Amino acid sequence: MMDFGTPVLEPGSANGTKQVPQFNPYQDNGGTVASIAGDDYVIVAADTRFTLGYSIPTRKISRVLKINDKVMLGTAGMQADTCALHKVISTRMRMYEHDNNKRMTFNAVSQMLSTVLYYKRFFPYYTFNIVAGLDDKGEGWVCGYDAIGSFEQRKIVCNGAGTKLMQPVFDNQVDWAQSWDGAGKPNLSLEQATDLMKDAFTSAAEREITVGDTLQIYKITKDGIQLEEFELKKD
Amino acid sequence: MFLTRSEYDRGVNTFSPEGRLFQVEYAIEAIKEGSTAIGIRTSEGVVLAVEKRLTSPLLEPSSVEKIMIIDHHMGCANSGLSADARILIDHARVVTQHHTFTYNEPMTTDSCAQAVCDLALRFGEDGREEDAMSRPFGVALLIAGVDEKGPALYHTDPSGTYVRWEAKAIGAGSEGAQTALQDAYSKMMTLEEAETLALKTLKQVMEEKLNSTNVEIAAVTAKDRKFRIYSSEELNQCIERL
Amino acid sequence: MSGDGCVAIASDTRLGQQYQTIAMDVPRMFKMHDRLFLGLTGLYTDTQTLYNLFKFKLSMYKMREGREISPETFANLVSSTLYEKRFGPYFTEPIVVGLDKDNKPYLCGMDLLGALACEPDFVTLGTSTEMLLGACETFYRENMNEDQLFEVVSQTLMMATDRDCLSGWGGVVHIISKEGITTKTIKTRQD
Repeated sequence: MMDFGTPVLEPGSANGTKQVPQFNPYQDNGGTVASIAGDDYVIVAADTRFTLGYSIPTRKISRVLKINDKVMLGTAGMQADTCALHKVISTRMRMYEHDNNKRMTFNAVSQMLSTVLYYKRFFPYYTFNIVAGLDDKGEGWVCGYDAIGSFEQRKIVCNGAGTKLMQPVFDNQVDWAQSWDGAGKPNLSLEQATDLMKDAFTSAAEREITVGDTLQIYKITKDGIQLEEFELKKD
Repeated sequence: MFLTRSEYDRGVNTFSPEGRLFQVEYAIEAIKEGSTAIGIRTSEGVVLAVEKRLTSPLLEPSSVEKIMIIDHHMGCANSGLSADARILIDHARVVTQHHTFTYNEPMTTDSCAQAVCDLALRFGEDGREEDAMSRPFGVALLIAGVDEKGPALYHTDPSGTYVRWEAKAIGAGSEGAQTALQDAYSKMMTLEEAETLALKTLKQVMEEKLNSTNVEIAAVTAKDRKFRIYSSEELNQCIERL
Repeated sequence: MSGDGCVAIASDTRLGQQYQTIAMDVPRMFKMHDRLFLGLTGLYTDTQTLYNLFKFKLSMYKMREGREISPETFANLVSSTLYEKRFGPYFTEPIVVGLDKDNKPYLCGMDLLGALACEPDFVTLGTSTEMLLGACETFYRENMNEDQLFEVVSQTLMMATDRDCLSGWGGVVHIISKEGITTKTIKTRQD
């Protein structure tokens, strides 16, 4: 849908200013992606609702790209830029495999995404990314990015519309951030992390209009990647 | 070989009727005039040894750079036209840094050798890109590096091919040196034994008497993955072991 | 947030001017009577003015009616007072929290023009309202007793304000039940 935005006042000719419609190249299609990493697993979750203003063009959009058996990329934000970015990353990944005769590691993917995003520093991809995977030792990690490629490697990341609602919950339940001395900090198992993820998304779907429909949860372990789909509220 | 030389060897890009690119083959000949370089690979690491060929006692030996570092885990020795070598090695340095910048990991020796060879056939007369050479590169490189597959030694030449070797000699004394290496090399060698073999072979094929100013030795070890040119003390220790 | 026969109201105690912290101990929640609290977020001068105004209005109500005002009535009073200034509003968003005569919890949030939003479970307002919403939505249960209610309220306040640089520097929680009011101060991250 073409978005010409609000007309912009242009200092015009002798009769003062005139209003000119301007093409806005960006759109916010909503959505949230989140990931929790453990000692030997990572789960990546993304909702499948595609919004445009107050409408829902589709309830079944995929926001996650499988890079290889150990690494996945999740993206929220503008869907057109998401598709373009995913294509670029897939291509770069295949070229790397041809040139270097080996699969890309988690570290390589995370660094490469940063450079790809910064390449468009002055006309960015309107995308909020997370890269999740198992490193060479089999430990799970996630990297969270901003739109121009600044990133940080952590154990839990949320990105997208529902971040403000979900991040505090993860801080409290996974990082044990509000505990005075950190005693009793849980080491979440894959099942516990999945349940926490479902709870967090359910809460976010309640209060954030762009989050809902279905939740796709990808579980990455040394045995491969499994997908679980979980229904969220459709209103 | 050059008895069949004809008009086909003037054009840089012209094939002969037998299907040969003479200019490329002549470039390979140029390397046979260059100073000798030897590389030996062991499971502990890779050793490179070069003859510096000091033509005058007034020449400052440390200014002759025959072994150069490409990245902290990779280096190479060159034989042939040194100026051409600089272009290739600078390209290799840029490519390895770009790889680390983009992927946050060291480049494999294999991919680096490929990147160097990609440059080899970028030459031409008319209709070539702005910054391409007008002739083939007249230099062969022995690239030594350690990556996750272990230590590796590659030989690149002006034809744009690269081959992995266990032990290789290039330059003026290469024929004799290669035979000596073939007889003495064993897969079980330690790094120290490889250093000794390299220097001994150099001593055999060098015209001047071998001493610590007219040879240079460098190695990259599998343990710490760092490419290092030996200091004069270390070089002297190796020479004393001969 | 509401519980079983009890209700809690909590806030942080930072006063700031954009990124500059001016005070770390300002009260934002005011006891209007033994079973009614008013919380005011936003511009602090309006917070103080409105508190004084409502203290005055409630005293008048008590003298005239001979009884304490019920939470629902008070909420409507706050709403009308704010709407009176429709075209030059007070820059505060209030929360009215209390127990009615049957000890049922009453919770209500308003925007700066007085639009009422009564909720049975919880209301959140302020700079970290979305973070509070997400946290409350996840941890709220129906019919919590006082201890559980305190635990949930204090944890959600802390986790949301930890992610907001404009909130923090300590927290206060008031729990109103038919036995009375319990006030607890929470030591949060001091930054």
